[in-house]
Amino acid sequence: MQIDIGYRPAHSMARVALNPGEQILAESGALVGMSTNVSMTTGMQNKPGGGLLGGLMAGLKRALAGESWFRNTFTANGGPGEVLLAHAMCGDMQVVEVPGTGLHLTSSSFIASTPNVNIETRLQGFGGFFSGEGAFVMQASAQGPNQLVFGSFGGITCLNCDGNLVIDTGHLVAWDSTLTYKVGKSGGGWIASFLSGEGLVCHFQGQGRIWIQSRNPIAYGQYVGGMLPPRKG
Amino acid sequence: MRYDLLEKPDFSMVQVTFDAPGEQMVCESSAMVARDSAVDMKTSMQGGMMAALKRKMSGESIFQNTFTASAPGQRLFFAPSPEGDVEAINMDGYTPIMMQSGAYLGAAPTVQIDSSWGGAKGFFSGMGAVLIKATGTGPLFFASYGGIHAVDVGPAGYICDTGHVVAFTGGLTYNVTRLGGLRGLFASGEGLVCHFSGQGRLWMSTRNSASLVAFLNPFRPVQKSNG
Repeated sequence: MQIDIGYRPAHSMARVALNPGEQILAESGALVGMSTNVSMTTGMQNKPGGGLLGGLMAGLKRALAGESWFRNTFTANGGPGEVLLAHAMCGDMQVVEVPGTGLHLTSSSFIASTPNVNIETRLQGFGGFFSGEGAFVMQASAQGPNQLVFGSFGGITCLNCDGNLVIDTGHLVAWDSTLTYKVGKSGGGWIASFLSGEGLVCHFQGQGRIWIQSRNPIAYGQYVGGMLPPRKG
Repeated sequence: MRYDLLEKPDFSMVQVTFDAPGEQMVCESSAMVARDSAVDMKTSMQGGMMAALKRKMSGESIFQNTFTASAPGQRLFFAPSPEGDVEAINMDGYTPIMMQSGAYLGAAPTVQIDSSWGGAKGFFSGMGAVLIKATGTGPLFFASYGGIHAVDVGPAGYICDTGHVVAFTGGLTYNVTRLGGLRGLFASGEGLVCHFSGQGRLWMSTRNSASLVAFLNPFRPVQKSNG
């Protein structure tokens, strides 16, 4: 299949050209349009488990908490087909090949992949990985040629970690699984972290690539949402 | 007159340069960004009160502004409200263009905009927006939140989330269906899809405002209960 990303970097959309019989797996809520010979089935993949990641601050409560995350299968029948996929937020997208050593992604970054990419969810213990966001981390692995599409809020920058890097968790998109990582507070204690406004950070060690997004969706939501009239709780 | 699309594709704005006195451009109210002072601007309820009220029902503004040049070289700049792109069409007098009413930005007076044409009622659920039809000759401008993606539709047809339909040529037939269990697949989350067929062009947006609103809503402060 051929995946082209257009309308970069702010309003990006993936155009997936499928050969007859080919399939692409995509997250829910990404489908914008498609050719008429594409069939869709919803699917369940790798239940993340209950008790996820309570929000620490007033913020997005992902419907995913307690629910299963799944990819949906799109198949081109009887001829070549096309599927158009986009994110809800403004930002960029990239197509990468999952290396043999694996790739980690944040759950909100995943858009689509070839069917031979296996996705497992990884829970991140106490306090949750993303302050206030009911999100989780996934690990992708694949044998042989494959394609995976991830998207961002804001622009995507690829950093090369060679040693140590500290990254605000709200700005994480994806990273090579060759890196070890540990989530922690940004400051010395909880109060220092709160005052710094930096929330949770991720300490990376080793060699590998880290893709970051130039805006933090939670911070944006709080920025705009905080200025809007109250809603009923 | 000549026109240029500036700041494409994310914050597109139209620049019109008039070539002769008397040339005119009609725009949705609040679309004007700038103009040479000598360009005359008249606000009107285009087509009279009843037509204006029909426009209000269809989601456009009651008022439109007609800009008239008084000398060659005068300029007018106009832009839509959301971030995104603008498409310019040179209407050929044969092919009508159907648009989501909120997408209409402006046109030369030789283009007729029919707001009373109901199209498919309920094409866009919950937004109160309907389809409007443009006919005639000359430049027509429409806009969307996000990028504008054009698809040439043939006999095999094309399927699009209705929340992402910006405009399409009049030769296409369309059928809106409501998805049941598969509604979560589509981007706007409303579960309404439009099946286009025939021969023509479909313009789709790469973003929809319903998803942005759904993302932001939980971040609003929670109303404190009274008493």
